[in-house]
Parts: sequence; C-alpha cells; structure tokens
Amino acid sequence: MHKKSQVALEFLTTYAWAFVAISVTIAALYYFGALDFSRYLPQSCIFPSQLKCLDFSMNPSEIRINLLNNIGENICIKSIQVTNDATPPVSCTLQPIPQGSCQSSEFYWAQSTEKDIVLASCSGGAYLSNQRAEVKISLRYYAINTPSKPVHLVSGKINGKVTS
Amino acid sequence: MEKSPLSKGQSSLEYLLIVALTFVLVVPSSYLFYNYSRDSSQELVDAQITNIGRTIINSAESLFYSGQGSKTTLEVNVPDNVASSVIIDGKELVFNVTTPFGTSEIVFFSSINLTTDGANCNGNICSLAWLGSPGFKKVKLETVSLESVRITTA
Repeated sequence: MHKKSQVALEFLTTYAWAFVAISVTIAALYYFGALDFSRYLPQSCIFPSQLKCLDFSMNPSEIRINLLNNIGENICIKSIQVTNDATPPVSCTLQPIPQGSCQSSEFYWAQSTEKDIVLASCSGGAYLSNQRAEVKISLRYYAINTPSKPVHLVSGKINGKVTS
Repeated sequence: MEKSPLSKGQSSLEYLLIVALTFVLVVPSSYLFYNYSRDSSQELVDAQITNIGRTIINSAESLFYSGQGSKTTLEVNVPDNVASSVIIDGKELVFNVTTPFGTSEIVFFSSINLTTDGANCNGNICSLAWLGSPGFKKVKLETVSLESVRITTA
C-alpha cells in the first residue's frame, strides 16, 4: 500500500511540471493573440435581405456601409445606432444624409435604391487600426405609406479588419 | 525480444506528437466552422421567413381579386428564431426575429387589407400568435369581404 502511493506521488510530481509548462505555454499563446482564430474568418456584413448589405469598409475613424432598400416601400430612417460587446461599446456619429420628404433628423430612402451610410468619429469599444472588429448596427425606420407609421427595427452585424 | 527503454520513449513521444498535431488541426477548424455556420444559419432563417411572408402576401392578393368567399390553405414551416407575428394597419405583416446581434423585424407590405379573428385585434394591431412560434403551421386565407382577406390557422 505504501509503495503504491509512492508510485502515484512520483507520477504526479513528474507530470505536474509538464502540466504546468503546457498551461503556461497555452496562456502565453492566448495572451499574445496566437489563439485568436477569428482573424482567419472571412469578413462579413450580415443584414436581413430587406436591407441587403452590398459593401462595407472600416477605417480607424469611420464605418461605411452600402445598403439596398429591398423592402418594397419608400421609407424614412429615424435612427442608426452602432454598438459592440466591448465595455464601453464603440460609438460613432451618423453623418448627415439629405432628409428628403421625411421629418427633420430623419432621412428618406426610396425603394430599390442604394444608400451609403457613413458613421464617423468612431471611438471606444476596442475599435483599433489593423485589428479585427465586430460591430452591431441597428436601424429604425417606418414606411411612408402605412397610415399609423409604425417604427420597425432592423439589426445587422459587420465583422472585418479596420484598415488604415 | 524485449524492447529497450529508449525505443519505448520514442513511441510515447511519437504518440504525443500525433495527438498534439491532431489538436492543432481540429480545434481551430472547429472554431472556424462553428462561426461560419452560425452566420450562414442567420441567412437561412432570413430566407425562410422571406419565403413565408411573400407566399402569404402573394396568396392573399390573388384570393382578394378572385372575389368574396375564395379561400386557400398554405403549409409553412416557421423557423426557430421567430418570436412573434402581427398585422399592423391591415397593411403590414410583421415577423419579429431574434438574432445573435439583436432583434429584427421583417416586414411584408400588402396592397390589400389583411385581418384576422377580431378577438386577436387591439386597435390597429392584430396578433398572429400561432404564426409567431416555430414549427409547422397551416395558414388559412379567406376573402371575407370586398375589402379584406382574413388570415387564420386551419
């Protein structure tokens, strides 16, 4: 019995060093970003097909998205918000777009047309140059021809590299 | 013939190297595959809901122009991510969809007036609770007047 426990203890003391060494190596790889496999994912822009994402770019100071109004109706955009999972989240300012026939602080978007949306002065939320970033974008709109003009929410996501 | 301790050590090392190499290949591949398929599944859900919404609206419009009393039943498979469904102003058929990056409303616009059973309507909003949950559904469409098509469950 005594000999068996000695063997077990010797086994643990021998391989505990190996275990510690492997743990430290994995921790170091994680710390320096070697285990961040998300950078190998393709860049993506995911929106519902009703506001189809045609193209996008992410610069250190701004995010540009090219969306297509596939809703089948003329709409007014009430607001566009940007966020991500970081604390504090990324914050950008929507660059003014001609309001057309919508109320002030809104902008008009005709059906089957594209719109370049520029979100400038982006800061915070680990939104850094030459880094991979994921941002969530939400738009609120209403259809001009619906009598009570209910406001609808559309959420999308951009995942790409912030290129300078 | 008994193997030397050096030979045993070599076997162990080779075994460990093969296991390590397998991990190095499998773990990143699994991560990349999981993330890629998650994005693809969102696009799939969007396509399913678009198909359901367009089918309902197109069928309702066809029935409306066929005249009062005409009816049909559609079979649709609502995906998991649908949280609710409503008709607003008799003109908008709205599906509320939850996604990993937030809630979205997918809206289908009708050129004719849509309605449902009166008990499910409150003001200008009519709830289609049965259509706003995942699973296989039968959608009954019926032209009930010269003005509107009623959507109910069969």
